[in-house]
Amino acid sequence: MLSAGSDVAVGRATPVSRRAALLSTRLVARDTWWQEFDCPDIAAAALPGQFVMLGVGLDEPGAWLLPRPFSVGWTGPGGEVGILLRAYGQGTRALARLEVGQTALLLGPLGRPFDTAGADVECVAGGVGLAPFIFLAAREAAAGRRVRLIYGERDAGAVFDPALIARLTDHDPELFTEDGSAGRKGLVTAGLDPASRALLLGCGPTPLLRALAAFAREHGRRLQVSVEEHMGCGIGTCQGCVVRGADGRWVKACIEGSVFPAEELDWGAI
Amino acid sequence: MFGAEFPSPVLLASGTCGYGQEYADLIPLDEIGGLVTKAVSLEPRPGNPPHRVAETPGGMINAIGLENPGLRGFIAEKLPWLREHLRRAQVFVNVVGHSAEDFAAVVRGLDGEDGFLGYEINVSCPNVKGGTMFGTDERALADLVTRLRGCTERPLVIKLTPNVPDVGDFARICEEAGADGLSAINTFPGMVVDIGRREPLIGNRSGGVSGPAILPMGVYATWRARQTCGLPIMGIGGIRNAEDALQYILAGACLVQVGTASFVDPGAAVDVHEGISKFLAANGVARLEDLVGALRSRPGTGPAIPAG
Repeated sequence: MLSAGSDVAVGRATPVSRRAALLSTRLVARDTWWQEFDCPDIAAAALPGQFVMLGVGLDEPGAWLLPRPFSVGWTGPGGEVGILLRAYGQGTRALARLEVGQTALLLGPLGRPFDTAGADVECVAGGVGLAPFIFLAAREAAAGRRVRLIYGERDAGAVFDPALIARLTDHDPELFTEDGSAGRKGLVTAGLDPASRALLLGCGPTPLLRALAAFAREHGRRLQVSVEEHMGCGIGTCQGCVVRGADGRWVKACIEGSVFPAEELDWGAI
Repeated sequence: MFGAEFPSPVLLASGTCGYGQEYADLIPLDEIGGLVTKAVSLEPRPGNPPHRVAETPGGMINAIGLENPGLRGFIAEKLPWLREHLRRAQVFVNVVGHSAEDFAAVVRGLDGEDGFLGYEINVSCPNVKGGTMFGTDERALADLVTRLRGCTERPLVIKLTPNVPDVGDFARICEEAGADGLSAINTFPGMVVDIGRREPLIGNRSGGVSGPAILPMGVYATWRARQTCGLPIMGIGGIRNAEDALQYILAGACLVQVGTASFVDPGAAVDVHEGISKFLAANGVARLEDLVGALRSRPGTGPAIPAG
């Protein structure tokens, strides 16, 4: 019923709203699920770094209604859209309880993607900030290229099943945990190589993004970050998801981001 | 209604549909009743710091801070698109100000432009001179509506705030001062506390609560307004589906606005209209007008007194 038209943002597909069936769901870490939805329109159009608004829609009588932004974590050849979902509160728990065959509403693909254009790429992921890099690494592997994938979690229990990452992306991430219970001990930023000139991509908690911005500044590295802010609509109407731009403006994470070159943001205010 | 044809009785509420363009790819805008723009103030406003929105049980809270490009920006950047792309859907421009002069300047500045039908006046904002909200001060509200009536012959709709002892009194004031219609109701003031940080979650500390949680309050406000005045009412607050919309219509609304539900499903306004049409057909009702305010009284209940 919902129609598509032209998009004002060059290179990005027009978002569509689709009710999509859950094809598979599996617990991949503590409170963390990998879900794949049957959504060919979005799978065909999405680019790494873009996101979808995922919600249960208006038919559910529950108290938690609003859709939430999730990075597109993967797209499959059969039109699957993969989502990495960590349950933080009641709304995300309701999404986590979806069973195979049940449907959810997906709106996407949304937002500005990563712009990697042939560059050597190092992806730095904190927690479920891994999701867009699964998609990116899978795309790069399919094109015969490699990326460096550095992935940090608090402890072993939070780590996304490495075998599934390998199957989806054909990459083995370099793993860090804060307590050393899996991979190397330390923050994910310990994996940064000051001598590298590769394009840095970051996604994860704000302190990680801040540390990456400082590192990039210090070493003259190009950096793009995917930021997160509370979001209402995902398409720029509610003006809820703002972050402070380097020019002093409030910029909307949903349509001006969610991926920003680091120099477009005011890191003192983020 | 308001001297115009509405393709559907369902409009998109102010603050939830931008200036229309954002929804153009997602829903057939000319098949809905219309839309109410994001607020327009005399000067551009940067808006509030984050967080600006958060989910709440059965709804959400927002404190955007009326971010908008200002009167000149709206005319240059937003109104041309509405003028060129909407043929049937009706547009109300939501107007906001911190003084009666501000409101009047926006209305006068817009009145010679094409591309919209009328105004929805947002009185849920502080009056810098009076120190209260226009919408909670009977005198300030009467003066504002009288003044704006002198600025335009277009439909002048006042968006009532629920933050008053009896919405009915304020509805009557609007009618007496020359308004053409009412929108009932705006968001409820609220707060969410981040217990980890021991801080308000919202950057502005407090915000407006919308969504299904406020549905019965909006229906009640519509019913009270209908009892005290004869103005057409746009019912708004928590509408998710046709059943919710029909509650407003039976309570006295002739049009409805869908807000937060569009965030949940961009097609909500279209679905609400389809559902209303099905209800009319299934119940042998020829015209929606036959249901407006057609609430039956219940024998044995007491007088209609304000709640609370």
